[in-house]
Amino acid sequence: MELLYAFSVGLLTACGVYLTLRGRTFPVVLGLTLISYAVNLFLFAMGGLLPGRAPILSEVGTEYADPLPQALVLTAIVIGFAMTAFVTMLALKARAEDGHDGVDKEAPR
Amino acid sequence: MLSVALTLALAMVALALALSLWRLMRGPSTPDRILALDTLYINTIALLVLFGIRQQSQIYFEAALLIALMGFIGTLALCKYLLRGDIIE
Amino acid sequence: MLLAILLTLVVGPPLVAWLARFGRLNAAWGAGAVTLAAAYALWPALQGAMAGETQLQRIAWLSAQGLDLHFRLDGLGLLFVLLILGIGLLVILYARYYLTSRDSMGRFYAYLLLFMGAMLGVVLSENLIQLLIFWELTSLASFLLISYWQGRSDARNGARMALAITGAGGLALLGGFLLLGEMAGSYELSVVLASGESIRAHPLYTPMLVLILLGVFTKSAQFPFHFWLPNAMAAPTPVSAYLHSATMVKAGVFLLARLFPALSGTPEWSWLVGGAGLVTLLVGAVVALFQHDLKGLLAYSTISHLGLITLLFGIGTPLAAVAGVFHIINHATFKASLFMAAGIIDHECGSRDMRYINGLWKYMPHTAILAIIASAAMAGVPLLNGFLSKEMFFAEAVGAATQLRLGWLLPAAVTLAGIFAVAYSLRFIHDVFWNGEPIGLDRTPHEPPRWMKVPVELLVILCLAVGIFPSYVVEPLLRVAASGVLQGPMPSFSLALWHGLSPAMWMSVIALVGGISLYIARAPLFEIYARLAERPGMYRRAHHLLERLYLWAGAVTRLSTPERLPHMALWVLLFAMTLALTGALQAGAELQGGRTLLPMDLLGVVTTLVLALAAIATVLLYRQRLVALTLLGAVGLVVSLIFVRFSAPDLALTQLSVEVVSIVLLLLALYFLPQQESRATSPWVVRDLLIALLAGIGMALLTFAVLSREGQSISGFFLEQALPGGGGANVVNVILVDFRGFDTLGEITVLALAALGIYGMLDGIKLQGPEADSDGRRWDPDLYPPVVATLSRLLLPLALLVSMFILMRGHQLPGGGFIAGLITAVALVMQYLANGVAWTQARLPRNHHWLITLGLSLATATGLGSLLFAHPFLTSTFQHLHWPLVGDFELASAMLFDLGVYLVVVGATLLILVNIGLMHRESHTPLTDAEEEV
Repeated sequence: MELLYAFSVGLLTACGVYLTLRGRTFPVVLGLTLISYAVNLFLFAMGGLLPGRAPILSEVGTEYADPLPQALVLTAIVIGFAMTAFVTMLALKARAEDGHDGVDKEAPR
Repeated sequence: MLSVALTLALAMVALALALSLWRLMRGPSTPDRILALDTLYINTIALLVLFGIRQQSQIYFEAALLIALMGFIGTLALCKYLLRGDIIE
Repeated sequence: MLLAILLTLVVGPPLVAWLARFGRLNAAWGAGAVTLAAAYALWPALQGAMAGETQLQRIAWLSAQGLDLHFRLDGLGLLFVLLILGIGLLVILYARYYLTSRDSMGRFYAYLLLFMGAMLGVVLSENLIQLLIFWELTSLASFLLISYWQGRSDARNGARMALAITGAGGLALLGGFLLLGEMAGSYELSVVLASGESIRAHPLYTPMLVLILLGVFTKSAQFPFHFWLPNAMAAPTPVSAYLHSATMVKAGVFLLARLFPALSGTPEWSWLVGGAGLVTLLVGAVVALFQHDLKGLLAYSTISHLGLITLLFGIGTPLAAVAGVFHIINHATFKASLFMAAGIIDHECGSRDMRYINGLWKYMPHTAILAIIASAAMAGVPLLNGFLSKEMFFAEAVGAATQLRLGWLLPAAVTLAGIFAVAYSLRFIHDVFWNGEPIGLDRTPHEPPRWMKVPVELLVILCLAVGIFPSYVVEPLLRVAASGVLQGPMPSFSLALWHGLSPAMWMSVIALVGGISLYIARAPLFEIYARLAERPGMYRRAHHLLERLYLWAGAVTRLSTPERLPHMALWVLLFAMTLALTGALQAGAELQGGRTLLPMDLLGVVTTLVLALAAIATVLLYRQRLVALTLLGAVGLVVSLIFVRFSAPDLALTQLSVEVVSIVLLLLALYFLPQQESRATSPWVVRDLLIALLAGIGMALLTFAVLSREGQSISGFFLEQALPGGGGANVVNVILVDFRGFDTLGEITVLALAALGIYGMLDGIKLQGPEADSDGRRWDPDLYPPVVATLSRLLLPLALLVSMFILMRGHQLPGGGFIAGLITAVALVMQYLANGVAWTQARLPRNHHWLITLGLSLATATGLGSLLFAHPFLTSTFQHLHWPLVGDFELASAMLFDLGVYLVVVGATLLILVNIGLMHRESHTPLTDAEEEV
């Protein structure tokens, strides 16, 4: 299972990186979203993979998944959204001011 | 008996998942894809509920509930975009 | 002491800026009140210092790391506090009349208080590093004040130069302090001052001294760093009176005085400090005479007087130090009043050029008398305070001369400076108030408002009082301050007007007579100077140097930064990958760790497959943007499934909600962007693919390496303490709102800031959406299909119920403020989607800012609430209640905090989405009147 998980993280990273290197704003935003998925999964993995052991305390439970990475990733997801929104807004602003949707001052070829 | 049924159901939902994804990727038209995404949401709900039964845990059901709600709104936004382009007007 | 600094530095500036909104004069009143309050807060400590005590105040912060706030008030501090607050108060009164109705009073007084607080911090610090922080703050405040008239290029250039010079000095000072702290073994002044012997014997003494002196000389405008001061005269005159004569430039000599017991008494000290002082004294005095600008004359005179004080400390005898302290007091009083007088003249004449303003005696006799007395004090005329300290200075110069070869040169040079001082003082009097009629002024000068003269009058009365009755007026303060400097036995001295026919007396007489003669015979000198002045001066050279530095910096930036963003991103990626690769090679560990792996199952394979296909399809189809977006939605869905699978229900819920919010956001943006990209072949595709693949493989290997190893976690503590300490069974939520509540407070602040930033960027943006969709079909005319509208209205209470449920139970079961907030926001956004802006805004508040404010305030207030019960910030408490019908219910204060989180998330999400959505209402189909009424 760990292999599959690692493969997923790697694939998301690769797709994200490729899109981030494009010359227009929209794919870059998509790419950043993919990269943030990958990073969130990666951070989450720091606690190890433990199916069926949610960190909700109960009388019967003895072993729980590591709650700390989860708490960190939870805020990371929300902040990630705020960052995506900010980048998107920058993209719109650039579109309004430069008249094209390239990431640079000059229009993309 | 239940475990066999569950395994079978899970396998079928997994297949449905894969087929929905196929439609999502293939299209050909955008409404097809939006519908496929919506079906994907529904499949996920089924998957979560089945999984919850197998694990004998209720924790998964809220996620299923939320997917139902969020899936609807996501589809709504996509459809509105298709119709009007401008979704908040 | 902390209270006074906090009042002026932290409370005061925002307060006066806010008060200024209710009438500009309120700012002046507020600034005055803050200053008085600071004085009141310091009063008991000041009385103690006057009685000769050294008071320390330590506020523990990170004591384990040796980081505490540590303040000190002794005689020297007392003197400077009096100068800062006393002259500060006078300057505040003066500026109220000086600033015109076009100038923003709020901004001015806010900066002024900022400076005042920073300066108080410098003179009250016990810790050297803390002193340096305040020292830098004074530089920054000075920058803001010099550039107060931002529209003027001379103000901007002057401010920039002052900041560059004093900032560079501050850097050197930091180095010096670090060395000094290491030598003394402590950064506390008490220790440093007591270990003078070992410091002076240390092999690194000279480099340390040079670094510290660089800081001192730049701040106190000593040659060759003096040139920033005349250019800082572009500041409003109250600023010049306050910062550039009475206080900030004195920070340098303050430091000389402060470290006098630790550093002085070596040949290096005498030559460096004395030498710089002497040269500055002479250069300043000579150049001052030839300035045509009133403030320019005063600026060079200030440089010269600062040189005099520096020279006194350089001479290094205890009596010289006393004289230095005395001159600090005297110079502050007469120079501040002179600057204020110059400001009045400027204010009334509209010019400061002494070639044009002449004969003002007729127009403003009262101001003239004040200015004449003050400049007589500057010249060192008997019966005024300047005479007393100057005579002590002359006596010290004579005394030092006996110990040097060619020692007679020192009294001679000093007397020469005295002659020039008399001459430029005379010029200030004669040129301005007599010497014919004013030339080409656009108005007739007259006396300023009554209260504008009051600060000048008070200072001039002080000059007279000190000059005539020194032993009553100033001697107690001088003794206390000097003992603070010396940290040891006081030398005997007497402040008398008449010490008999001593050499110093003769030097004074020579200076007076020589100065008058020099002024009478000035015409040929001015011609010579005018010819010399055509050559580029220090300022011009420094200015060119600075400009060239900017050019170099620009060139380096261009060299190191590719112009195109993808290239930049590529460099960042390559760099990170190289780092990771070298790290991995050096570690040399096995890829797979010892942990037993989980078995693969069908579900895992299918989800991974779906994820992989969706992600790859997103990349393949990214040119068809709407399609890519739906595929991205599928990826997000699978990611949340993975979270569910591996025991993170909270994450799954969050991911799902964020997913929908992101889709709405990207759809909103997509409307203004091209729907498709042309299939232009990029030459970089292969290269980018390769890089992406490498990055992906790296991440995959890293993840696998981590996953296959047993890790150590600190989470045991959280799991154990969640129920007994935090009162919640959902450990993730307890961590968020309790254990790491302070982090969460930071996170929601960031969220709020991002939302506000987006709102700010929306201002004035104009974008046109397309008329038809990507296939060329016109948009559907049906704005709000009734089925969807009705359904979404029905769904709203349900969705709100779900969100409330998730919020309330978050402490015990998966949920919490973040998730509930997102659900509420999505439910409300749905109404905008289905029912339209007009319908929704008629029923919901339009303004989301207050939601964010409310949430942040609530979260902060919950944290502050625990302070009331003498617990640290954000300590939580909980209580079990029995509610009828509901049953046992737990109420934790952390839930209030979570409610704050909830409100911020709702507010920020709505603010972002709704306002981006509203951006183009004008550019889209205009609403008809009938629709507007709905």
